[in-house]
Amino acid sequence: AQTLKASHQWPKDDVRGKMVEIIKTEIEKADVGMDIRVYPSGSLFKPKQQWDAMVKGQLDISAFPLDYASGRHPQFSATLMPGLVKNHDHAKRLNDSAFMDEIKKIINDSGVVVLSDAWLAGGFVGKDFCVDTPDSVQGKVMRAAGPAFEQMLAEAGASINSMPSSEIYSAMQTGVLDGANTSSGSLVSYRIYEQSSCLTPPGDFALWFMYEPILMSKRSFDRLDEDQQDALMAAGQAAEEFFFEKAKGLDQTLVDTYKEAGVKIVNMSKEQYDAWLDVAKESSYKQFEEKVEGGEELIDMALSVD
Amino acid sequence: MSELQLGLVIAVVTVGLLLLGMPVAFALGLVSLIFLYYQDGFFGLGFIADTLYGGLDSFALLSIPMFILMGGAVASSRAGADLYEALDRWLYRVPGGLMASNVGACAIFAALSGSSPATCAAIGKMGIPEMRQRGYPASVATGSIAAGGTLGILIPPSITMIVYGIATETSIGRLFLAGILPGVMLTVLFVAWGLFAAWRKGYRFVDPAVSFSLRDKLVMLPKVGPFLAIIVGILYVLYGGVATPSEAAGVGAMFCLLLVIVIYKLRKPGQLWHIFRDAMKESVMILMIIAAAELFSYMMSSLFITQTLAAWIGDLEVSRWVLMGCVNLFLLVAGFFLPPVAVILMTAPTLLPVVENLGFDAVWFAVVLTLNMEIGLITPPVGLNLYVINGIAPDVRLPTILWGALPFMLCMVLGIVLLCMFPEIALWLPNYLMGPTI
Amino acid sequence: MDAFVTFVWRISRVCGVISAALLLAAVLAVCHLVFVRYVLNQSAIWQHEFVTFSVIAATFIGSPYVLLKRGHVNVDLLPHYLGERGRFFLALFASGASLAFCAFIAVYGFTFWHEAWVNDWRAETVWAPPLWVPYASVPIGMGLMSLQYVADIVAIVLGRDMPFGAHDPSELAEERSETGGWA
Ligand code: NA
Ligand code: NA
Repeated sequence: AQTLKASHQWPKDDVRGKMVEIIKTEIEKADVGMDIRVYPSGSLFKPKQQWDAMVKGQLDISAFPLDYASGRHPQFSATLMPGLVKNHDHAKRLNDSAFMDEIKKIINDSGVVVLSDAWLAGGFVGKDFCVDTPDSVQGKVMRAAGPAFEQMLAEAGASINSMPSSEIYSAMQTGVLDGANTSSGSLVSYRIYEQSSCLTPPGDFALWFMYEPILMSKRSFDRLDEDQQDALMAAGQAAEEFFFEKAKGLDQTLVDTYKEAGVKIVNMSKEQYDAWLDVAKESSYKQFEEKVEGGEELIDMALSVD
Repeated sequence: MSELQLGLVIAVVTVGLLLLGMPVAFALGLVSLIFLYYQDGFFGLGFIADTLYGGLDSFALLSIPMFILMGGAVASSRAGADLYEALDRWLYRVPGGLMASNVGACAIFAALSGSSPATCAAIGKMGIPEMRQRGYPASVATGSIAAGGTLGILIPPSITMIVYGIATETSIGRLFLAGILPGVMLTVLFVAWGLFAAWRKGYRFVDPAVSFSLRDKLVMLPKVGPFLAIIVGILYVLYGGVATPSEAAGVGAMFCLLLVIVIYKLRKPGQLWHIFRDAMKESVMILMIIAAAELFSYMMSSLFITQTLAAWIGDLEVSRWVLMGCVNLFLLVAGFFLPPVAVILMTAPTLLPVVENLGFDAVWFAVVLTLNMEIGLITPPVGLNLYVINGIAPDVRLPTILWGALPFMLCMVLGIVLLCMFPEIALWLPNYLMGPTI
Repeated sequence: MDAFVTFVWRISRVCGVISAALLLAAVLAVCHLVFVRYVLNQSAIWQHEFVTFSVIAATFIGSPYVLLKRGHVNVDLLPHYLGERGRFFLALFASGASLAFCAFIAVYGFTFWHEAWVNDWRAETVWAPPLWVPYASVPIGMGLMSLQYVADIVAIVLGRDMPFGAHDPSELAEERSETGGWA
């Protein structure tokens, strides 16, 4: 039997880890002479190395935040742009849009295949303040997930301190950070509620969404026979459906956990969201459109999805 | 071949290449290449450069050369001699005599340096000749410094703690804090041994001809003051949450350099080059091993040996303490042959999940691991501190040094036992200052 | 042949100076980072990556110098107990095997660099510096390492240098030792 390697940076019981496990069990069930060996928690490749490893065929499958490869393909930054995705239903509509067709074309052309789509939502926390309007971060030291968010927060007057999400807890505890932005999953699993007084969860108007698909190396994919390829695609579909069921639950878990910990919850209003979008348009959107070839068209395509 | 059998073959080949005299870094690297080739042919080598580079691609790692430089700036200049002289004047009446005061000096210098060989060199350069001149046997003079130097990686800052923190995603600040009390405990054990040895052998360890007046002592204060200020400053910066370990390391290194340049009038570029050259040599050696160990871990993980081994150990039907004993024994043996960073990078990712599953704490385990590594630093065939002692006192033979260091090694074993009985020795301070672990 | 060996040693020494300079640059950049972040209270844009790149480059570029100074630790148990002849062959083996590793990394490191160069890969950060610059340190450093190992092997075969740096009265050994050159 053929053994495929699947790698990701999360614990096994993280929702993205579970997606990979689903693909693994579905493939076993399909009985097409193939099995998958999963390497969780970055035990084979460092998170950002996974892209190159897939392109070279050294890694077969990965749950991969696409923005990590934006140094290779700057267009990928569009999948971590402030306010581009408003909520989970919007994310689902976006998957079948011209915008994502364009992104997936770049993915395919560089030698990678998408097995499952997934958009993770996230929010903001503050140590002693609430992130609602752009003015609220004025003069605060913030950590953001992704350069586009860093640019937006810097434009709003925050000073940026970059670090992995695993370090947010102690940075907020020791006062190195005043606030942070990361995925709902990380906000819960790193117990950041112990260090925050206020949470801005992803509600009807969420700023932070990140595209974190399950990807496969094209080199590995093309080596397989048709039955195996079909089985993988079907397994990917199953994982994708599982994720969509879970996605809103993740955000609810976030709110419940923080409420229970006595953290204040504020939801972003339409006006506040629009104010942030204006800031983003002056910073991250503008720089993206200037620096990336075809950037403006990409943004327009994404914004035109209702 | 099963994964476990293959793992055994890899272990044999690795030990073989090491014994044949290859540098540790390149032996680990070559083994990785051989078995990646065995797995997938030349295709399997397609990611070796990426992996080697990736092993060093971390902002936290850069604190290693900085912490080496910090200690090196002091050790490679007149500042080291003054620091030693001052400590000698203040500590010379410590029970146990000059030997104990040298161990104390090692402990204090350890708070300035992240590296064990550097600590050993800084105090040994002055301490070993001084002890021998005052009539200490060569074994005691060299053995005590070899052992005292190992405090360099237990008392923060510490290179091994940084590497462990990165490899296992544990807070480096928390690890540093966890090393303080065990460091003090070990220093006390060392000094206690000095006292006991003095009493048993009837050595006149305190030379009546040597005495320092209060004036002699006070005169030295301005010279040590700045260094103590840097130590306190770094502790404050790290634990007051002002900055990250890397930032503290960079600024600390700069302050030490400036101090040495200003106070000791280091004006010639040649003298500065000496400091940087020494720090660079040790850093490059350690970082090269770190990069190669990354390649080795990649190979072991890719062949699924790491995972199989961890599962195998996890399934063993033995009590947690028997297993912890075996883990310690294994670490000790690994420490004979490999420098600390290599042992940590190659074993921590496998052992930590098993150890945590059995209910042990990751931070506590880091301290136990470090104590094991300290013993490895003074055991042949690869003992970084032994090389340093050999450089300082080339006329003292290896068995003599080992004989002198043996009681201190036993102190370290006792330290491990105490840590197992009372984990709070390591955990109380970090939990008190930073809150319980998440 | 002596000229070749001394020439390689000179290159390795230059590597040492470059590596030390990169270390100094890293220290200065960290201090600048701290100043910008904690004194001016602004965002640091480039320092983290610059420092990381400097230390990586210092490692690979400094490696030949550390080899020249016999600073890469090894187990010298067996050489210690072997006779002169045994030591000679052991040194040839150890150097040859290390040369094989370094040469492999140099070759694969070139591809690694070349991809970043051709495709204009950049770090995925706000600063977004081109990656071919730090990547270049891998093929350069490991290439020069290979060269230094070739010189080592030549020196051992010609009897100009003693295996495992045992005491050697020759002029070359003098030049290789700590006091030669820069002191
Ligand atoms: Na230390
Ligand atoms: Na050892």
